[in-house]
Amino acid sequence: MLLKLAWRNIWRNKRRSVIVLTAIVVGMVLLLLTESYMAGMLKQMLEDQIGSHVAHVQIHKKGFNDNKIVQNSITDISSVEGSLGRNSAIAAFSRRVQTYGIASSASNSSGVLMIGVDAQQESRITKIRSWVQEGEYLSGKDREIVIGRALAERLGVTLGDKIVLMATALDGQVGSDVFRIVGLYAGSSSDFDKAFVYVPIRNAQRVLAMGDRVSEFVLLAANIARVPQLSKDLAAVVGEEYEVTNYKEVLPALMAIIEVADKSMGIYYFIIGVATIFGIINTLLMSVFERIREFGVLMAMGMKNGTVFAMIMLEALILGVVGTIIGLIVGFAVYLPYWHYGLNLSAFAEGLSWIGASTIVYPLLTSEALVRIVLIIPFISVLAALYPATKAIRLVPVRAIYYV
Amino acid sequence: MEIIRTELVDKIYSDNGVPVHAVDCVSLTIQRGDFLAIAGPSGSGKTTLLNMIGALDTPTSGSVFLEGEDLAAKQRSALASFRLHTIGFIFQAYNLIPVLTALENIEFKMMLLNVPEKTRREQARNVMRELGIEELAGKRPNEMSGGQQQRVAIARAIINNPPIVLADEPTANLDSVTAHNLIDLMVTMNREKGITFVFSSHDAQVLQHARRVVYLHDGQIESDTVK
Repeated sequence: MLLKLAWRNIWRNKRRSVIVLTAIVVGMVLLLLTESYMAGMLKQMLEDQIGSHVAHVQIHKKGFNDNKIVQNSITDISSVEGSLGRNSAIAAFSRRVQTYGIASSASNSSGVLMIGVDAQQESRITKIRSWVQEGEYLSGKDREIVIGRALAERLGVTLGDKIVLMATALDGQVGSDVFRIVGLYAGSSSDFDKAFVYVPIRNAQRVLAMGDRVSEFVLLAANIARVPQLSKDLAAVVGEEYEVTNYKEVLPALMAIIEVADKSMGIYYFIIGVATIFGIINTLLMSVFERIREFGVLMAMGMKNGTVFAMIMLEALILGVVGTIIGLIVGFAVYLPYWHYGLNLSAFAEGLSWIGASTIVYPLLTSEALVRIVLIIPFISVLAALYPATKAIRLVPVRAIYYV
Repeated sequence: MEIIRTELVDKIYSDNGVPVHAVDCVSLTIQRGDFLAIAGPSGSGKTTLLNMIGALDTPTSGSVFLEGEDLAAKQRSALASFRLHTIGFIFQAYNLIPVLTALENIEFKMMLLNVPEKTRREQARNVMRELGIEELAGKRPNEMSGGQQQRVAIARAIINNPPIVLADEPTANLDSVTAHNLIDLMVTMNREKGITFVFSSHDAQVLQHARRVVYLHDGQIESDTVK
């Protein structure tokens, strides 16, 4: 019956209750959309980085990360491959040759990062194959090249055209070769598209006079949550002449952005929480003052302080829960279409590409975020009720009954 | 057998620093089953004395005993529990809970006593039948007349058969016919259930029906007449 009484008390002043509920609903919707948008954008950024080039873990010759020259390459390929093949936590791995060079066409040239890959292994690690929009991905034939559309535009070339790649070889000479464009891709950022070019690994090794040497091994873990541990385990296995780094170490700027975004969500919660709490305090205080005589009568009848306190807390909790439910319904009604179709932010393409974010963001509501959102408003409501409830139980029954 | 006893009870308020003796040295013994009115002009201390008897207010000095228990020895929580089990209140302004129906208002006290819903509902309906107000069960206070509301208030006060019912000017807001009917009702409750009724009133009809009238003047007992 206390629940019935609390529910009816809320609707004594419908307008006031609707106003405070509306404030709660707006707060809920903002939280839901902000959380999901932020999480979706950051997840996409991370996945794009991992899926475009970084992968989960990278293995290099010690010194490579400080100086990415051809001389800092891995020679004992079979030993490293053997270690990777025996590890069940690894879903896929691939070997690469990479170096900075110049790509030239008849009309122009541009600095590039040449990536020599085993096409089949590489397609299990990165998304480049799926990003090819014209032509096809590397098939394994000699002197094929896949470049970004943006680079193709800059060089004034198209599918089927030839370009020359030049780079400093292992012996210090300038190595070069001619490649035919078999595929044009468009990735998540035009800067990436202008820089990364993909050729068969044996072609890259030939241009750079590397023999069987490779620049790196990259791998995907079966479970991304286990990557830091996998990284440590591999470092112990491959030995000190190699450096093993995971994506968190390779992408410190992105990891910092993710951390800042996480913490800034806390600020959003605080702001919305403060706004909501004062709205509820005001509503409940007014409700308590309007019912002073009634509280006096209830106490006279024998209602204990604890029950009076509980009744007011219940009113606040009902407000919070009802607001949360309506907020979730409205929030999901807004969120689901964007979750399905994505939010088009092409108006901010330049700024987004600067931080490596794509222009179509798919919001993502994680279960942790949903639990936070569902619990925060009822919690704040109950917190807000403490002061009005305390005022109520401090009433002296005899004065309250005759209050005018 | 004694049910209520006050011993040299004083209640002094401060009115802008000036002490006001609302109740001055009142010693009173009320027997079980009494139908007693505390009468007097406005400001004579009727309501103040009634509130102290009802454990709603504490004397500045003196003692109040209800069913042999010294109210001064009890903490706030214990007093609340004592009121719940021992006393029914009827107020001048009815003071029903506006968002509850008549039935819910009556059974509310039983809810506070943790009586199961089915039992308390049945008991509430029985009381309503006794008082002839069954048809009001689903109505809210704003849908009832003053007389009807006061009947519901009486039902609420007596539903758990308390030994004492304290009524503060219960007929003040009612017309004479309604007031008469209500007084008859309370006389019947007193006679049939043995409930002790203590009124604070200056209504002639109430005084007429009371078997004992204690007259207060300036906080002191001026006369105590048993009919």
